[in-house]
Amino acid sequence: MTDVTLEGWIPEIGPGLSLQEVIDKAFDYRGNVTVVRTDGSETEGYLFNRNADAPVPFVQMFELSGEGPRTIAYRDIRTIRFSGRDTAAGNSYAAWLRAKEAAKSGERPEKGSGSAPARGV
Amino acid sequence: MSLPVSQMWAVASYVIRQKLAGRKRYPLVLMLEPLFRCNLACAGCGKIQYPAQILKKNLTVEQCIAAVDECGTPVVSIPGGEPLMYPDIGPLVKALIARRKYVYLCTNAILLKEKLEAGLFTPSKYFSFSVHLDGQREEHDEAVCRDGVYVQAVEGIKEALRRGFRVTTNSTLFDGASPLRMREFFDEMMDLGVEGMMISPGYSYSKAPDQEHFLRTQRAHDLFSRILSNPKRRWRFNQSPLFLQFLMGKQEFECTPWGNPTYNVFGWQRPCYLLQEGYAATFKELLETTRWENYGKRSGNEKCRDCMVHCGYEPTAVNHTFGSLRGFRDTVAATVTGRY
Repeated sequence: MTDVTLEGWIPEIGPGLSLQEVIDKAFDYRGNVTVVRTDGSETEGYLFNRNADAPVPFVQMFELSGEGPRTIAYRDIRTIRFSGRDTAAGNSYAAWLRAKEAAKSGERPEKGSGSAPARGV
Repeated sequence: MSLPVSQMWAVASYVIRQKLAGRKRYPLVLMLEPLFRCNLACAGCGKIQYPAQILKKNLTVEQCIAAVDECGTPVVSIPGGEPLMYPDIGPLVKALIARRKYVYLCTNAILLKEKLEAGLFTPSKYFSFSVHLDGQREEHDEAVCRDGVYVQAVEGIKEALRRGFRVTTNSTLFDGASPLRMREFFDEMMDLGVEGMMISPGYSYSKAPDQEHFLRTQRAHDLFSRILSNPKRRWRFNQSPLFLQFLMGKQEFECTPWGNPTYNVFGWQRPCYLLQEGYAATFKELLETTRWENYGKRSGNEKCRDCMVHCGYEPTAVNHTFGSLRGFRDTVAATVTGRY
């Protein structure tokens, strides 16, 4: 997996970085983001959809409360902050291998590294 | 092939109806994901990495049924997440059976015994548990990153068989898999009494923790050739023999990304079960507005380059069976001889 995460990124839209690029990265991001609108209001949640080909391009989000989907037009977005934890970041397979190796060599594995955690249980 | 005759007939007559209607693109199996929660976090899985509010979400039974009715496939597969954690899994399965859909509940089987004892399900020719097992005990527990899961799954399988349920297995193979161990695994499953097995190479999800062990095309052909050459007569597979030949490099197929459409809490997933490039609100919108020419090996899309996963190629194999004399002949020959 990639070691680079966008967690905490606050992009500056400008000549070197378009809104479309930021939206695409937010769509690919497996954590919550904060959409900052042109009127200054903000919506925080999981951005699960984006459609640049629609007559009015839009993104869709589920808010932190789970409410949604909320639809926001591209034209109303100033920027997007990568505010939530990147749930795809991590190293569960490597941790599992380390634990297995430790078990084989008779060492005590790191606490909590014997099994990958369940998700959402 | 180990499919019941009624199921083969349901699929065959459905495909023939689509062809007579002149439909260029039609779905075969709906992949219905009522939730993303799982009680495992397997290294090769890219399905469950979401924030808490998404993991807490469930489709309603009504949403599931509406999706099933909308796309009209004869077969519905329920993966996830872990579907036995879906609170309405009993009523959902019952409703699908009432619609005469052939249902595969894809489970890691950790909760299977408990749910069976709770009387959640009734045996039916329309309903099969498809238990995830990636090999023998050592290999499977390593793949799911937890010791003891294989033993739990086998206990669940035994209990389901004892109660008269149809049980199949589904196995994902990664680079480094041992052909000999997989052949022993097939023997083990047949000894257990499962109806049939499904096998597929893994897909390199960009979000999956383990990126190093996904199979590339030639290595996949080599691996599956070594596993499936000289198959034992007692092995039964719950999938098209032409797909098995494709895995061995004996068939040249192109992906059918609309063949196994996916519906989940976000909507209809574009373009397929594996890639997430957006969502459509309706199945019609999915079919009509997805740029299908951008997917499959011939498209040059690098995300599709090494993909040989069943959800894209099994529909191609089935279409080939009913789309040409050669396809039909090859399918019959492989079914009768038991050789791929």
